[in-house]
Amino acid sequence: MRLRLRLLTDKVFTSFSMLTLVFAGVFLLVFLGPIFIRGAGAFIFKGTVEHRKVIRDLFERSDGNSLAQEIAATNRARQQLYARLTSFENEMAENRDLRMEYKNDYEPFKESLRVLLGPLPGDPIVVTPRKQYGQTRWDRALVKYKEVMNTEEWDYSNPDSMGQKILVPRRSAFAGTSLERVFDEDLDKDNLKAMLRPRLTFYWRFLTDSPKDSYIFGGIWPALVGTFYLTIGAMLFAIPAGILAAIYLAEYAGETTLVSIVRSCISTLAGVPSIVFGLFGLAFFINTMHVSSSKSVLAGSLTLGLLVLPTIIRAAEEAIKSVPKTYKEAALGLGASKFRTILTVILPVALPGILTGIVISMGRAAGETAPIIFTAAVSAGVVLTPLEAFSNPTQALPWSIYNLCTEHEAVDEIRHVQYGMVLTLITIVLLLNAVAIILRAKVERKLRG
Amino acid sequence: MTIQETLERDMTNDRIAEHTSSRHSFRARKFTDFIKKDTADDFEKPEAHICAKDLSVWYREVEAVKKINLGIRKGKVTAIIGPSGCGKSTFLRAINRMNDLIPGCRMTGELKLDGENINSPAVDVVALRQRVGMVFQKPNPFPKYIFDNVAYGPRLLGIRHRGRLMQIVEESLTRAALWDEVKDRLQQNALGLSGGQQQRLCIARALAVNPEILLMDEPASALDPKATLHIENLISELRGDYTIVIVTHNMQQAARVSDYTAFFYEGDLIEYGPTREIFTNPRLKQTEDYITGRFG
Amino acid sequence: MQKNINKSLPPTLLMSGRTIRLRRMVSFFGEGVLVTVAFFSVATVLAILYFVTRDTIPFFQAEGFHEFFTSTRWFPSREHPEFGAGSLFYGSLIVTLGAVLIAVPLGVFAAVGLSEILPFTLRQYVKPVIEILASIPSVAYGFFALVIFAPLLQGQGGILLSVGFVIITLPILLLIAALITGVIIRYLNTSGKMVVWLLLFILISGSGGYWIWKISLMISALQIDSGVNALNVAIILGIMALPTVVSVSEDSLQAVSKDIRMASYGLGATKTETIVKAVIPSAASGIFAASLLGTMRAIGETMVVWMASGNAAQIPTPWYDITSPVRTLTATIAGDMGEADHITGSSRYHVLFALAFCLLIFSFISNMVSEWIIKNNKRKLQGGK
Repeated sequence: MRLRLRLLTDKVFTSFSMLTLVFAGVFLLVFLGPIFIRGAGAFIFKGTVEHRKVIRDLFERSDGNSLAQEIAATNRARQQLYARLTSFENEMAENRDLRMEYKNDYEPFKESLRVLLGPLPGDPIVVTPRKQYGQTRWDRALVKYKEVMNTEEWDYSNPDSMGQKILVPRRSAFAGTSLERVFDEDLDKDNLKAMLRPRLTFYWRFLTDSPKDSYIFGGIWPALVGTFYLTIGAMLFAIPAGILAAIYLAEYAGETTLVSIVRSCISTLAGVPSIVFGLFGLAFFINTMHVSSSKSVLAGSLTLGLLVLPTIIRAAEEAIKSVPKTYKEAALGLGASKFRTILTVILPVALPGILTGIVISMGRAAGETAPIIFTAAVSAGVVLTPLEAFSNPTQALPWSIYNLCTEHEAVDEIRHVQYGMVLTLITIVLLLNAVAIILRAKVERKLRG
Repeated sequence: MTIQETLERDMTNDRIAEHTSSRHSFRARKFTDFIKKDTADDFEKPEAHICAKDLSVWYREVEAVKKINLGIRKGKVTAIIGPSGCGKSTFLRAINRMNDLIPGCRMTGELKLDGENINSPAVDVVALRQRVGMVFQKPNPFPKYIFDNVAYGPRLLGIRHRGRLMQIVEESLTRAALWDEVKDRLQQNALGLSGGQQQRLCIARALAVNPEILLMDEPASALDPKATLHIENLISELRGDYTIVIVTHNMQQAARVSDYTAFFYEGDLIEYGPTREIFTNPRLKQTEDYITGRFG
Repeated sequence: MQKNINKSLPPTLLMSGRTIRLRRMVSFFGEGVLVTVAFFSVATVLAILYFVTRDTIPFFQAEGFHEFFTSTRWFPSREHPEFGAGSLFYGSLIVTLGAVLIAVPLGVFAAVGLSEILPFTLRQYVKPVIEILASIPSVAYGFFALVIFAPLLQGQGGILLSVGFVIITLPILLLIAALITGVIIRYLNTSGKMVVWLLLFILISGSGGYWIWKISLMISALQIDSGVNALNVAIILGIMALPTVVSVSEDSLQAVSKDIRMASYGLGATKTETIVKAVIPSAASGIFAASLLGTMRAIGETMVVWMASGNAAQIPTPWYDITSPVRTLTATIAGDMGEADHITGSSRYHVLFALAFCLLIFSFISNMVSEWIIKNNKRKLQGGK
């Protein structure tokens, strides 16, 4: 009986620890799932004719005649709606009572139509791009369609709970007028499709288009380029410094107190919170060293470089130390100097291991936000040339993600952009990690074989 | 070529003469006397390529090699035998100053290479190691192409010309009896070769810088019998062109390949002489016990 | 045939004094470069400490220590600003505590699973999962917390929590029930053990299950007003700290020598007994260091807390109400610097450095402690061999 109990305990314990691993896996799925699925929505979605207009007007790419025909077709589909609106307006202009009764309902209705379909005929021309076009995405169009068809009201009938939001069909507000028919005939689902012509769109240019009208239209190119600059800049600084330090620690340093201080500092540096790195970057690189007058890619790169330095040093040191001593002996035995040995034998053999560390740090540098808040990142800006990058701040994916999902004026309108950005960032980081995993597998195979 | 042959013939004659003449007189001496005197004699001989005089090697406070005196003849194969930890590898590694790599390791006394003391801070270790090649216990080719392995040394000497390198690689591989096996796959990773081939590649790599002396630290201990035979044949081939010093655990191997044998025990050089003599008629009981396998 | 390699040997191996000096200079210079670069990290650590301290001092000079450490009123932008960081310390503390409560047990179990239980082939596939969790940028975690998790928590928070509660407590209940049953059986010493065992087991686990059910019902009735709160952040931070805990614990478990395991198995211990009684005690200090590093990861994290903690500088009533929004040190630095750095020199600016200083000191101390533990542990294990 005692043995059975022990075996049972064993089973429970074992399965519990398996469960934690499963939990980690499940969380990863729960985490990545929505991001991948909804992130893909930034690239593949049902685009309306408005999307194609935006592409034609703002990015000057179009498929020529077919778009003109399509626009003509949608205009035909919208014609009756617009005509009925005009006639209702005329009625109101003639009939004062009618005007008094419906003025307050009609204007919001018209406004909601503008949001859905773009400017109505006879509207004054506005500069803001988002006012010039209707909904570019079918999923958003359906949301806006709901707002056209219904008005929101709050129900406070139950005093014990919070007010409940209820939808009231807008049609009822116009009951008995000539406008009532609009809701049945012109604004039914079929005609909506005819007016907007949703079509499956593969918008890979999301990556390479600049955002227009603060990310309402277009893609994420400047942020992508900014992240690229920051990452490369950080690496340009951290790789040489990291590898040289690792060579020193692995090949030259003895077991002295000084060296152990260096090691302690490296691990201390690895533990410094990233936001403190940001403050340090601001206080040191910008306010003291004046590498640039304000935020800049250079300052951000240096800060990120310091952040990933410990990772690179550790990985490189491990890699160098794991090079079999026999290689070193063979090279030295052939009369190579220590420097030559390191350069021609040890580093090439350690390279995959060093690369693993580098690639992982690249992922880290690309994804870090806190260090660049004060040193490099801004929420709006143009694509920089490499030369400008020295002294100018830039957009960057991590910061833009933060910015768009907390501080943007129309957070809900651009969910797809946020998801698309997160997907892009995660894909970059995961790809880099995949490279690292493959490299490491290679190293392990080599050391075993 | 002819000069070398003459030289070798001379030396062989010399050896035979030595054998016949000095046997009995050796017998008569006490052994301490013998070591000091006999090897001291070797110093004076012109063909002594490497001479150790009161050479000690220390690992911090431990004296691993104790004041040995030994002359190694030019163009001969000298085997160093002895039980594990007797200082034979340490002595071998002293010859090309590989012991410098071990922290806390130092040498006292003299170790002369062609009459030049190499136990001096002024010695150019890099140049020394180019003259004294080394083959290690475990085959340690670089994880590079076969070609690049052999060309590593010549490249260190500044040879860049591809054709010239190719010539050296071919010659070295041929000398190491590996050319026919690898000539079609010079651009393959050396780690893909078998253990025996790898070891011959390491020998070819050492030969490519044209050293005068080849140190071999149990070169066949990690190999199977067939590969071992290959290496031994190769050593016989190389005899004459190079001064070879080989450390081995294997008595038969020492007997087969070497001209001279030195027996080390606990850091002391116990007995040194022509191989045939050491194996057939050792002067000391200790040597005999070891050779016949009674200890060690 | 060998002679066509016409290497021109130097006539002597000895170098002239000039060559020696030259070589020495070159190697001195080369090593000097390496040393300089290696000391970069030391310089950076010192520089960070210096710059953060330098900008901290003016704050304490102007405002003193008392208010900063004891008050909970954080109104830095008022006309008469108040810099009571108490609520910020509270915020950091509570989310870190929550994260550690999640990360440490899960992490240790996962490390045990990875290092002791999973067969090698499977481990190769599971490890990348942990690595991916570690590599995901914190802003992506923050995005998840804010955009996906927070609405979920707000809408179905009660149900979600009760499901989590059941998942965690059920195996523990079964284990405890089995243990108690075993003990009782040993005292009863009856015949027909299997039936009695089963009956007892069902009885005990049933009554335990009833309580779990009641509590989970209670939890599921919970209404969460706002999805951005301490709980949300604690869960996400816990998952972010998980990989650190797992990998460091796993290392220390792996470092336990095989002999200890073999000795335990040899005495007839089961796998669990071996792990719990032999392996984990030997690795205990390493696991502690892992927890400390995990804590550091949680307390130093910025983006997740900034995005999803609600950023309300308050100590909720009751203080343990983790479903209310809080504000942490890191989020305050990140959030307030944007408004403060234009007026460099004010207390408003320097107080952020004071916050960073506190973070830094904490991270230095816990880093030193964990490093000391790991080093000591290594020495012990090596010495033990």
